[in-house]
Amino acid sequence: MIQIENLVKRYGSLVALDHLNLNIEEGEIFGLLGPNGSGKTTAINCLLALLRYDKGDIRIFGKPMKPNSYDIKKDIGVVMQNVAVFDLMSVYENIDYFCGLYVTNKKKRKLLVEEALEFVGLSDYRKMRPKKLSGGLLRRLNIACGIVHKPKLIIMDEPTVAVDPQSRNKILEGIMELNRQGSTIIYTSHYMEEVEQICSRIAIMDKGRAIATGTTEELKKMIKTGEIILIDAISLTPDELARIQELPHVYDVSYTDHKLKIKLSSGKHNLVRVLEYLQSEDIYFGRVLSELPTLNDVFLEITGKELRD
Amino acid sequence: MLHLIKYRFIQIVNDRTSMFWSLVWPLLLGTMFFVAFGRLGSNDAIGSADSDWTEIPVGVITVDDSREGDTFAAFLESADEDIIALQSYSTEKEAEKALKEKEISGIYKVQKEPELIVGKSGMNESILSSLLESYNKNYHLMTSIAAKHPEKIATAMEEIANYESYTKENSLGGSSLNPIIHYFFALIAYSCLSGAFLGIKASIDGQANTSPLGARRSITPTHKLTLILVDFFVLVTVHFINVLILCGYLRFILKIDFGSEVGKLLMILFMGSVIGISIGVAFGAVSKLSINGKMGFAVLLTLFPSFLAGLMFGNIQHIIENNLPIVNRINPAAVLSECFYCLGIYTDAAKLSRNLITLGLMSILILAIAFIAVRREQYDSI
Repeated sequence: MIQIENLVKRYGSLVALDHLNLNIEEGEIFGLLGPNGSGKTTAINCLLALLRYDKGDIRIFGKPMKPNSYDIKKDIGVVMQNVAVFDLMSVYENIDYFCGLYVTNKKKRKLLVEEALEFVGLSDYRKMRPKKLSGGLLRRLNIACGIVHKPKLIIMDEPTVAVDPQSRNKILEGIMELNRQGSTIIYTSHYMEEVEQICSRIAIMDKGRAIATGTTEELKKMIKTGEIILIDAISLTPDELARIQELPHVYDVSYTDHKLKIKLSSGKHNLVRVLEYLQSEDIYFGRVLSELPTLNDVFLEITGKELRD
Repeated sequence: MLHLIKYRFIQIVNDRTSMFWSLVWPLLLGTMFFVAFGRLGSNDAIGSADSDWTEIPVGVITVDDSREGDTFAAFLESADEDIIALQSYSTEKEAEKALKEKEISGIYKVQKEPELIVGKSGMNESILSSLLESYNKNYHLMTSIAAKHPEKIATAMEEIANYESYTKENSLGGSSLNPIIHYFFALIAYSCLSGAFLGIKASIDGQANTSPLGARRSITPTHKLTLILVDFFVLVTVHFINVLILCGYLRFILKIDFGSEVGKLLMILFMGSVIGISIGVAFGAVSKLSINGKMGFAVLLTLFPSFLAGLMFGNIQHIIENNLPIVNRINPAAVLSECFYCLGIYTDAAKLSRNLITLGLMSILILAIAFIAVRREQYDSI
């Protein structure tokens, strides 16, 4: 559905997009994950033909995307990172106005606006002006304005920024529902939990490049870490730490503030083996946690830095 | 299309800041002028032919007894108690003293080559100067005809007499030279330019690199040209109505006369509105300032040209005309103000036509710049 090939965008000497390649299939919820400044929004703006780029090729629905590709634009809905609504018009008027930029038939438009209001749960607020809405409701209005015309492709650029957890869950459920109704969705975020929760495929971006692409499981398999074991230990000697380091599959051990962190590559019975060792050495320990790697670990291992920097 | 026009109209009219600057503020200024200048037109419209006209006091000293000087003295006497009020002085010193004490606006020196001495620039001084200029022109014309075609002298005298009669009735003879009216003309010009406030806001809402709203509007399948045309149509309509409200208020409540040529007046106001809106749209699209910065700069953008057109200091346009006339030709507020003069006071068709052409060219030029500024669909940075 979307092909981005060798996309390069420079702002003077700064390379915002560095030969970016992406291929997004119909029916996907495709996540663009990366820290602030990694190039997600720039990629979206290039995709929408708002930004001039230096090099590369963008095709949507099999056709090259240009500023005057109005036939492509009619099937795209966009939810901007910043709320883009008119403060001086009511909720209904805002949705109706933006729907009117896509749909000229008055009857059809009325139906679509009602459906959008219902979908985002703003039917009771239709006469209110945006300034009277809470942050979460405002975000929902922002979404309604972007999806009211039922587009085939929806691009959502960090739609949950500064939203309370309850509204965030509502928005994420809405996105999955839109996908179930047939829309392909591109979802950018720097919240890895959201991306992990809703996206069928993910591209991790850093410094304008897609450094890894795949499903959550595929991405996790790309890294060395298969399991992380956290143990509250009372005291450990350097010798004991060295012996833990020598256990099968263990590749990294750290011990700070009486907390032992062991990183292991994938393997069976890792936790059992570690606990057996501690018991055999009469090392007292408290709480034990075993975690599978997160996307943050994937990002950390690939780029050497935290996702939320 | 109607859908877009309807909502654009709602968005613009509901924008209180822009509407304040483009409608309420000029109305307040008009009221303040009216109060500040006293009760100017309770029964008679300011600038109408029915109100009182005070002759300009001017001193006369006879320098020599030449035949040319006698002719000039006779000319001055014919204008006495009509346009000017003559006061004779025996010496130049006495006359200069009276001029310094502002008892008179100027001194005519009756001599072979008549001269005028004035103390400052102003409306009265300009009229005295025009009077001398008119005399010199006619005198030289008559002497030339007398020398080359003595048989046509009678016809020429008749033509000049008719001309004098014409100017007396329509321009100099009326009260239309009340200098206070200048402020109101400059105010209408300012009101036209204040459409810039509406233009700036609309421009910001339409450009992807200036607002998220602009970005959202830019990625829809509605052609950019359609969006621009809808914006211009609504903006010019709303602002033209704003200017008409101001003019209606000045004409019917404050009784200020703009002459009787309503069609031409509407045309001038319309072009003024187009210029004001276009300046705002172009500035809003090109400037990198924040929205508050743009609005703040727009105050300067509208007030400064209006200041140069006499909004705060009535004589400034004359000073500019004498020292740097090009500014009056390219300043839209000055051209607009001059158009109102032509309509309401001079009844100078040639000058009005020239100003209308200037105004038309300005409208087209600024509109074109604004259009080029907003028609972009792709940006280097957002």
